[in-house]
Amino acid sequence: MIVLKYQKCDEARFISHIDLLRHISRILLRAEIPVKRSNGFNPHALVFFSPPLALGVTSRAEYLTIDTDMPAGEVLARFNASTPKGLNAICAYGCEKNPNLQARVVAADYVYPYPYREIDFSGVVIEYQKKGEPVKEDVSAKIFSARDEGGMLCLRLATGGVNLRPDRLLATLDGIYGETGSVTDIVKTAQFASEDGKFVNIDDILS
Amino acid sequence: MADFVSEFEKLLPEVEKPGRYSGGEWNTPDMSSPARGDMCFCFPDLYEIGMSNLGVQILYDIINRAEGFRAERCFAPALDMAKKLREHGIPLLSIETKKPVKDFTVVGVSIGFELLYTNVLYMMDLAGITFRAKDRKEEDAIVIAGGPCSVNPEPFAPFFDAIVCGEGEDADLELLRRVAEGREKGLTRAQILNSIADIEGVYVPSLKREGYRVKKAVVKDFENAPYISKPLVPTVESVHDRATLELYRGCASGCRFCQAGFWYRPIRERSAKRCAELAKDMLKSTGFGELSLCSLSTSDYTGLEALEDELSPYCRERGITMALPSLRISSFKPDMAKDSRKSSLTFAPEAGTQRLRDVINKNVSEAEIDKISVAFEAGYDSIKLYFMMGLPTETDEDIAGIAEICRRLKRLYMEKRPKRGLNISVSCAVFIPKPCTPFQWEEQISFEEMKRRQFYLRGLLREIKGVSFSWHGAETSVLEAALARGDRRLSYVIEDAYRAGACFDGWSEHFKWDVWQAAFEGRGLTMQMFTRARDLDEELPWDFIDVGVDKKYLAKERELAYRGVTTKNCREGCNGCGALKMGRCTIL
Repeated sequence: MIVLKYQKCDEARFISHIDLLRHISRILLRAEIPVKRSNGFNPHALVFFSPPLALGVTSRAEYLTIDTDMPAGEVLARFNASTPKGLNAICAYGCEKNPNLQARVVAADYVYPYPYREIDFSGVVIEYQKKGEPVKEDVSAKIFSARDEGGMLCLRLATGGVNLRPDRLLATLDGIYGETGSVTDIVKTAQFASEDGKFVNIDDILS
Repeated sequence: MADFVSEFEKLLPEVEKPGRYSGGEWNTPDMSSPARGDMCFCFPDLYEIGMSNLGVQILYDIINRAEGFRAERCFAPALDMAKKLREHGIPLLSIETKKPVKDFTVVGVSIGFELLYTNVLYMMDLAGITFRAKDRKEEDAIVIAGGPCSVNPEPFAPFFDAIVCGEGEDADLELLRRVAEGREKGLTRAQILNSIADIEGVYVPSLKREGYRVKKAVVKDFENAPYISKPLVPTVESVHDRATLELYRGCASGCRFCQAGFWYRPIRERSAKRCAELAKDMLKSTGFGELSLCSLSTSDYTGLEALEDELSPYCRERGITMALPSLRISSFKPDMAKDSRKSSLTFAPEAGTQRLRDVINKNVSEAEIDKISVAFEAGYDSIKLYFMMGLPTETDEDIAGIAEICRRLKRLYMEKRPKRGLNISVSCAVFIPKPCTPFQWEEQISFEEMKRRQFYLRGLLREIKGVSFSWHGAETSVLEAALARGDRRLSYVIEDAYRAGACFDGWSEHFKWDVWQAAFEGRGLTMQMFTRARDLDEELPWDFIDVGVDKKYLAKERELAYRGVTTKNCREGCNGCGALKMGRCTIL
């Protein structure tokens, strides 16, 4: 098993998660990385993703698990020679078994296009449309922390099974800052699993 | 030139499927070096449809390979994006470099379907291009059209400075080169149009006088004609999201209703060896998991077996599936589809009785239809059947024949696999008499008659279990027929319809029948004026285009149709249609 850490930026920000699955399988075919296939009635390549990224958001920390016997270095080089702009891999980790990041990831860091300041998120309510119906949700429990990242506001948000889409928090922040931010200026910088009640960076788990 | 890029990018998260507009597809050529001339291919439908168009990709590839020239793309934006563009005052931009479409040397619109005519104006409108060629200013882009609708360009001719009739492989690049040269030399617009008028296939509507003739452009050396070795890989799933290989051009069957079958003559085959090379190149460069071997009638391709033998192991090793669209029933063999999943098979008998199939020269016999049972044995339990209604000489008996075919297939299925059930999906289009076919003089049945026959067939099919029925809208069929055989007067109708809100007419949810009716009436016209029967000696709006196939040959075929006499497949011997003078039929 190889886990590739890759970024999703530039034009690739606008590839939806469903389309991304198709893109990845094509990159792997072009790169001639031999991927093991499932044995079922409809055999498919054994590749696994970290939780989906909201459309339009840039990420510097997406993960792709590939079931292959090829060495990590070669997978990395081949992948990068066959990937479109904005979907290139940063590093590759070898691992014994599928780390199942889809299920294990519980949080992610997002840098917003706003300078850092202390904000009280208790009782924050967001509004959005769900299946055409307006929804109001108190998301304070899904905002784990806020910190200063190079002068900018960085929030650690619930990601995965319990999820807070970073773009849905924009309107709240716009209200606080009195400006209009764009989804395309949000950057995801890291993903985390929970171990003994603490957040552990996925990179530290894999290396 | 204003830079709209950053403003445009801000709109992307606010629209549906932003990948339609973002660009950055794999295999996009390098656009960084300066070009003497550039062309923006505009496709008047959504990204998902346009990216499946083989013609545009071939021409795009040819121009981008040429030193000093560049091609980019633009698709009709969906209505939500169009609204945003208008709100923000952003003109239509190319996908690759986000350059305003109107600033290209040449703007080339590919028109493949009559119901896209209003979308052509929709794109021009968003781009800020003046609709009528005669109103354009000296420095404005040269706006050209091409694609299958160039068979009768008259309804949209006034919107274009030039129209490429036929195949664009050679004409488009030459046209771009001459326009760029003309601009470099400081020629006037009229001089530039004069300079391109002698390119084979190029029709300049402003130069049309009594006796004006245009010869359809034909690729002579199809074997070595350029083909896309590095197709663009769509960002958003397209309707034909796979590698597509064109095996040959033209068709030997001679079905009398089929425009493509006559328009793309002479028949030109590519060798299996070259096809295999091209297919592997495409698969390697794209990573597509599916390969489609396409042509007007794939089972007629001489090298099919050799090609399959060559490609099957290659595809199997890589988990790539091979698809064979456009198979004739008579040529179906169970092993043809051995590597694909056995889901559904599609066949097109086109008419319900042998008599009517003879009339239209669809050489499919009752015995051959029975051969579908081979597919049942091979494990298929779902069949899709395509028919047409309203064909010349059709009676209710012929329509009842469609239901009879369904019944017979069900019986055959029960003999082979009595424990399961067969699903038949019948799709019935309305016959549209098209230019450049033996039926180009025919009347289209009336709107009321279409409705009556559809209702009649629906009643018959309801009695058979497991048969589902879908049909084409009578309204769109009448409009398509009127536009297909129209003349220049229709350009005003199209413009009026567009201004009154007609757009995306091919999409049933957007089609506005009232708007179209009013647009015809407003110009003192009716659709029936164009769907009526034409006299054999009547001058037809498309007669000035030399398509190779003689008008006399078409008339003879029409007469044979009325006598119920079939014409043999061109592979069994030349029928003397006249297309030979455009280049040899190269059946390998």
